[in-house]
Amino acid sequence: MRAGFLVAILLVAAGYTWLAFTDLSYLSSAGRLGPGFFPRIIGVCLVALCAHSLYADFRLREALSAHWRTTLVVAAFSAAFVAVLDLLGGLLSMVAFLGAALAYLNRGRPLQNAALAVILPVCVYLLFKVWLNAALPRGILPLPL
Amino acid sequence: MDVFANLLLGLSVAVSPANLAYLFIGVMVGMVVGIIPGFGPAAALAILLPVTFGMNPNGAVIMLAAIYYGAQYGGTITSILLNTPGESSSVASTFDGYPLAQQGRAGPALVMQAVASFVGGTLGVVLITLLAPAFAQVTRSFGPPEFFVLVMMGLSTLIVMVGGNWRYGVISALIGFALGTVGVDLETGQTRFTFRSAELIGGIDFIPIAIGLFGLGELYYAFYTGMHVSGSGGIVQYQKEKRFWPQLRDFAETRFALLRGSLLGFVIGVIPGAGATIASLMSYSLEKSASKTPEKFGKGAMAGLVGPEAANNAASSGAMVPLLTLGIPGSASTAVLLAAFVLWGLTPGPLLMAQKPEFAWGLIASMYLGNVALLALNVFAIPLFVQMIKLPYRILAPAVILVCTIGTYSVSGSIVETWLMFGAGLVGFFMKLYGFSPAALVLALVLGPLAEQSLRQSLTISRGSLMIFVERPMSLWILGITAAVLAAGILMRRAGAQRSS
Repeated sequence: MRAGFLVAILLVAAGYTWLAFTDLSYLSSAGRLGPGFFPRIIGVCLVALCAHSLYADFRLREALSAHWRTTLVVAAFSAAFVAVLDLLGGLLSMVAFLGAALAYLNRGRPLQNAALAVILPVCVYLLFKVWLNAALPRGILPLPL
Repeated sequence: MDVFANLLLGLSVAVSPANLAYLFIGVMVGMVVGIIPGFGPAAALAILLPVTFGMNPNGAVIMLAAIYYGAQYGGTITSILLNTPGESSSVASTFDGYPLAQQGRAGPALVMQAVASFVGGTLGVVLITLLAPAFAQVTRSFGPPEFFVLVMMGLSTLIVMVGGNWRYGVISALIGFALGTVGVDLETGQTRFTFRSAELIGGIDFIPIAIGLFGLGELYYAFYTGMHVSGSGGIVQYQKEKRFWPQLRDFAETRFALLRGSLLGFVIGVIPGAGATIASLMSYSLEKSASKTPEKFGKGAMAGLVGPEAANNAASSGAMVPLLTLGIPGSASTAVLLAAFVLWGLTPGPLLMAQKPEFAWGLIASMYLGNVALLALNVFAIPLFVQMIKLPYRILAPAVILVCTIGTYSVSGSIVETWLMFGAGLVGFFMKLYGFSPAALVLALVLGPLAEQSLRQSLTISRGSLMIFVERPMSLWILGITAAVLAAGILMRRAGAQRSS
């Protein structure tokens, strides 16, 4: 997994460096240091260090934690929450996310979970939307508030 | 006299009813943030930034700063009662805080940590009051070479001092710099790495990145380590103890530790990149080596708790000096504070204290009041915070994820930024898992434009010669201090590695 993470950074860094060399000029039209100067230095250093780290740490292996599945599920819930924000709107998405997350993490307490899944989103909605007048997604069924 | 006149001006700003209310909210939120393991002040500050949009700038910064230094107080309660630091800067407080609690002295330990935090924090603010104006005077002569060297100093200190694999630290900083180059090049107006996206023309906003890395990333990591199943079962029941208050000998034994910790912490805090965690660990080593009974350390020595506590609070005050006088943050939390300043049109730097005295001195004066409020809260409201420790993580964490997501969306109503926050959360989880430095990434992202601009300007002035960085006296001084700090950091790491082997 560590090697995979380093490879991912290396690939992105290589793309960044390639763009810095091909799309951005080293000098500006006025003869000063141009927009490509700094990104080229950063890109080359990043690629070199990632490659070196990959070579040095390729054999490092860590045992997976017993809780990796929970972490994955929580991350999936978070992603789903962001995905439905625009569709369901702020309040409904919060209720759906909290309801699902608590049903998975806090099993055997359906009443407590249901109460929390409603009360907390309503409080957050009132704080952000009503009190602070902040931007929250309206969703396909906008609320009157 | 100027200092006292300015301080009085600051007090007149800080004691307005609205600002006092914001200060109290800030210290309360800071305490709560400090108590929650895996959720730090950087994420809390970033999430609460949009909450302050409707407030006056003075009140907003007073509240955000109170969250920052309040978190240093709160983190220690879990260190003492649960052996789990709420904040990384409270790690040293577990060494002797928890053994004290196990020996039936949790009450005295909690009160002494509050007193130490108060003394460290207040002495730090006194030193800011006296030294910041002089510091601002000196830094007025700084030009692009000095600013570039200062940015490099902050990042290299952070990477070397925090520990772990230095290569991963540098990679983290380089990723931050790379993200900082996205958007319009300010000198030529050319777009860079925007892929013709209108959302990217303005650059990558660091608020979603900070919330993702320090909010979601830390929470995912806490789940990965099983925090949701461990709970607070092992919490020490301090209510059953016969004696809650410390004895006179506790104060007498630790009076020099208090002073040493405060002074050391402030000096470390002023150095960009070093921060409260390093200050508390260095203070612990100092107290152990200065003690006549070093064998008691790790088994419940009050000086081993008091010194680091004074140090981490003094360091959080000291970190305000480079932030206010140079506009250079030394940590992820102060980077968010810098972003807050910029959002309200304030430019931290050498001229801030002269041009906006009511703002700078209002903040400094509020820190005196904030420390008094935190002392009172830490002594008299401990039962309330203990109840919060007992909140199960499996309930707390989804609620925090919810606030992170909604908080990010509310900044600019952008779903793209919300996805960016989620992506940063995943990256932050892997960075934490494999020993990378999310703090270096955020700091480099914030300081990247300044680093690039000052490097290009320096090389233009010197016609491409790097000698400009050693030819100017101030730049050479900063390089010398950086070399000394780095050498000390490397020696400390080697000594630590030898001890552990």
